[in-house]
Amino acid sequence: MTGPSTEPEERRARRGRASLRGSIGLLAVVAKRDYLRTVRRRGFVFGTLLLPLGIGFFMTLSGFVSGGGLGIGGPDGPGGPVDFVLLVANESPLDLQPAAPLTPHVQLVSREEGLRRLGAGSAEELYVLPSTYPDDPTLLRIDARAAAQPLGGLQRQGAQQHELALLIQTTLLRDAAVAPDVVQRVVAPFTAIDAQTLSGAPVAADPSIASFLLPFAFTMLFVLSIFITTGYLLQSVTEEKENRVVEIVLSSVPALPLMGGKILGLGAAGLTQVVVWVLTAAIAAPLLGDRMGELSSISISPVTLILAVAYFALGYLAYGAMFSAVGALAPGSREAQQYAGIFGFAAVVPLIFSGLFLADIESPIVTVLALIPLTTPATMLMVLTLAPEPPWLLIVASLTSLALFTLVATVASARVFRATLLLYGVRPSIGRIVGAIFARG
Amino acid sequence: MVVVDGVWKRFGNVDVVQDLSFDVRPGEVLGFLGPNGAGKTTTMRMILDIIRPDRGSIAVFGGAPGVEHQARVGYLPEERGLYRDVPVLDTLTYFGALRGLPTAEARRRATRWLEDVGLGPSMKQKAAELSRGMHQKAQVVATVLHDPDLLIVDEPFQGLDPVNAEMLKGVITAQRDRGAAVVMSTHDMADAQTLCDRILLIDKGRRLLYGRVPDIQRAFSDGAVEVRGGGIPMDPQRYRSVSEVSVANGSVRFLLHSDASAQAFFQELAELGAAVERFEVSTPTLNEIFIRTVAGDRRAEAVR
Repeated sequence: MTGPSTEPEERRARRGRASLRGSIGLLAVVAKRDYLRTVRRRGFVFGTLLLPLGIGFFMTLSGFVSGGGLGIGGPDGPGGPVDFVLLVANESPLDLQPAAPLTPHVQLVSREEGLRRLGAGSAEELYVLPSTYPDDPTLLRIDARAAAQPLGGLQRQGAQQHELALLIQTTLLRDAAVAPDVVQRVVAPFTAIDAQTLSGAPVAADPSIASFLLPFAFTMLFVLSIFITTGYLLQSVTEEKENRVVEIVLSSVPALPLMGGKILGLGAAGLTQVVVWVLTAAIAAPLLGDRMGELSSISISPVTLILAVAYFALGYLAYGAMFSAVGALAPGSREAQQYAGIFGFAAVVPLIFSGLFLADIESPIVTVLALIPLTTPATMLMVLTLAPEPPWLLIVASLTSLALFTLVATVASARVFRATLLLYGVRPSIGRIVGAIFARG
Repeated sequence: MVVVDGVWKRFGNVDVVQDLSFDVRPGEVLGFLGPNGAGKTTTMRMILDIIRPDRGSIAVFGGAPGVEHQARVGYLPEERGLYRDVPVLDTLTYFGALRGLPTAEARRRATRWLEDVGLGPSMKQKAAELSRGMHQKAQVVATVLHDPDLLIVDEPFQGLDPVNAEMLKGVITAQRDRGAAVVMSTHDMADAQTLCDRILLIDKGRRLLYGRVPDIQRAFSDGAVEVRGGGIPMDPQRYRSVSEVSVANGSVRFLLHSDASAQAFFQELAELGAAVERFEVSTPTLNEIFIRTVAGDRRAEAVR
């Protein structure tokens, strides 16, 4: 009992409402302060910008080195979409006629004009069909540079030779009076393959690279957010302990709103970082265009997205509460990191089983991982994106267990947080921690 | 303003606070005295709702301690500090906001207070860049920034240099004079005697002494009078009021009969022709009372 037992019911209710309003207000003050303090840190700004800048730098560097190609396959030939000039000096008896859809880069020039352009640096190679062609199927290539070609140059030459072959093939077929539609089929024998089972039913589409990457991207995002944000949480809690300000703060804010404010504020900071990265990726994808291949065609259903957000939020709350308690009971920041590593490992366990997820999404191990609260978020994020249909029973069961666990973890963590935060440089006993969890009020 | 009634608190197998009762009134300084481990800090934390009592009740401003009262409370803990890599003004603004002040008002008050205590030029410096004395001033400012009605200060003078100790004494008396209730735990009995209106002495979680400082001193007085001067007869038989005479520190110490008064004894001295230069009724200091009580002086029972 902490107050007079004779306190009238109405007065107690009024006090309860005032207390709730006060707690929410204080939670907001703590959340705002911790958020602003974190996002203004030099380390945070540096860390947030470093990833997109780094990726941009390496992509630019890669594009520069390769002469503009990172593609993973496409209609422009081996090496993918490449921008280049194909200078051809035709001295053979063939009547070469470039056609835009198939041979868009061909420019027919005289040998003198081609050499002049090589000398002026507006082209790298000149292909010559000598007068002996096609009796002698040897072509001549004159390079502007004497040194060996870099990777980008080799890729460009591959694309040039693919297009030059198409030009010669269509010319030879036309000269042999082959009908244009046959010519078309010769150069592009098929454009699609419809696959069926023995019963005639359509075979499920081949898994694309996107369908493998999406679940990992989601899960990695979750794990990354957990590690980033819990890092901030640990830093914040241990800093207040080490700087001896925690008692002043606790005398103003009860443990639960203090913990909640930190979880929300620092969660928002972690989310800010992730949003910056995701937005950068979203902006960069169209700019990179077809270099991204089918990655740019990833789409997520609204139901999957809503469920993913639910798992993400519940998982973050559960981990956030536990890490706050870890920060409170650790004697120092080093110990806090060690303790946190134990819980943090649980978040990455599903990634260890990722091969199993790809092989058999209905495996019992996947079900077990989905129902263990600490591994639920990462597991279900992968299940949601890999399963052909949402496994509703598993979704309901896992969401329920995760929600219950989050509730219990939050209350227990708040009690541990409150009981151990004021222990300076002391490692509390297991008995004291358990006692704090089951203490009244 | 604060009523603590029959409070118990146990940690592990130890009753840190046992059946403790007292109150704190507006416009007074209650000295909370006791040896290390007596349960002072635990009791203060229970008043602040940082920890909860196992039994008994605590009322603050007429209700149970809770978040709705925390804007009216100022607390200077024994273990105190500032965010090292944050400008002092920002830290104090945050503490003010936690005590219910709007951010702009908290910043305005913090600025004014920091200027008043001579930290104006340093307010935008990080705490890590400030001297220990500057830290101490800033911590005091954080405690009173929001004009609390109840001020709880735990060993406030510990580690303070004399200049800052004087400043803090001024702050405490100013808060009391404007009507705030002050609970101050201290080991320094001289400070307690100077600043406190009432004292509460506890040991092993139990109340040993509780009351006004002069009343307690009177209760502990042994009826002795110290006299300095010339022509003072040393034979106790020559006095009606005296049972024993001794010399101590250049003064003559008279132990009076229990029914004798100091005034009557003074008249006796005059009648005997003594040239009295100094006449002082001997009362024990709080320090003496503290030592005697905690050592188990039975006279404490009479005051309880």
